[in-house]
Amino acid sequence: MTSGDRQRVGAENELFLGDSFSLIAAAHELKAPLALIRQLALMIEMGESDAEDVLRMAEQIGLTSERALRLTADLTRSARLEDALFELEPINPVALCEDITHELAPLFAAHGKSITMQPRQRSLLMVANRDLLRRVIMNFSDNALHYTNASGKVELSARKLDADQIRISVRDYGPALTASTWKTLQERLYLPQPVHARPQSSGLGLYLASIFAQTMNGHIGAVRHRDGASFYVDMHASTQLRLL
Amino acid sequence: MNRVLIVEDDAWLAEHYQRVCKRAGFETRHAPNAVDAMMMIDDDAPEVIILDMLLAATTGLTLLHELQSYGDLAHIPVIVCTNSAKDIDSALLQPYGVRRVLDKTIMHPDDLVAAIRSVIA
Repeated sequence: MTSGDRQRVGAENELFLGDSFSLIAAAHELKAPLALIRQLALMIEMGESDAEDVLRMAEQIGLTSERALRLTADLTRSARLEDALFELEPINPVALCEDITHELAPLFAAHGKSITMQPRQRSLLMVANRDLLRRVIMNFSDNALHYTNASGKVELSARKLDADQIRISVRDYGPALTASTWKTLQERLYLPQPVHARPQSSGLGLYLASIFAQTMNGHIGAVRHRDGASFYVDMHASTQLRLL
Repeated sequence: MNRVLIVEDDAWLAEHYQRVCKRAGFETRHAPNAVDAMMMIDDDAPEVIILDMLLAATTGLTLLHELQSYGDLAHIPVIVCTNSAKDIDSALLQPYGVRRVLDKTIMHPDDLVAAIRSVIA
């Protein structure tokens, strides 16, 4: 075997390992919603619940299915990133976030929580792909839904970091993260980890968000607060507004 | 009425467990994380704990350790309900008070009731 062959085999193994981790992480991530859907379906099938309970369980099945489907759509999209050309265009992040809060409001309300967008007076424009940016913010919002306190709120905001950067943040209000959890989280933001190394979640959603942001020449990160955390995506500001 | 504490960070799954337990005649409380669970246990010790292992912030193992460090709480039977049952050696968890391990992906709602009845019998 030549050194070139060895390098190629090494690269293939690396790719295989990466794919294996992604597959394991995806399977792990889908287990929770599928298990819940199954439990609720079995409960309805037993026929001992009253009509109000059945309606609530049916709503939970529908909303949980939508969350699982969003993850499978993200996985499909991430696998095809290299095959596709993603158009980057000037996007108003406030309008996009308002769309997302409107779409997710029923899911949050069903959990007794709320999601809102902080209003802004001045317009912002960032350079991004609408579909990918939407997926990043949906992932952050989904993550926040899980971690924010019961009857808590989640806030989206957009602001200019400097002349060239705009940040969209998703803020949750939950229990303070321990230092070790924070360290694990920081690692998750950038690298796929073996499932057994992770508490609660495989972090697949955040990993996909990171890939989507990189595809748009942006990056994601997180800020720890005393009463929760903010996840953010930083993107290049569009220069179009400067021309006005 | 038997008092059951459900420690589960998925609010809808916790609601489902509460529905199942209530139907079987158990009194339930719900803690979404290990810290809240410890406060509730401190306030009024349950007869059974249903515990998810992979919780937000701290894991279920932290709660198991905490329970074992108090003589009056170490005896409370724990039923672990997890999506990772295949990765858990239940024999290793027995010294932590874990009496049953249920796999969320294959269990039936009645399995939960049967497990509770078996550990309080």
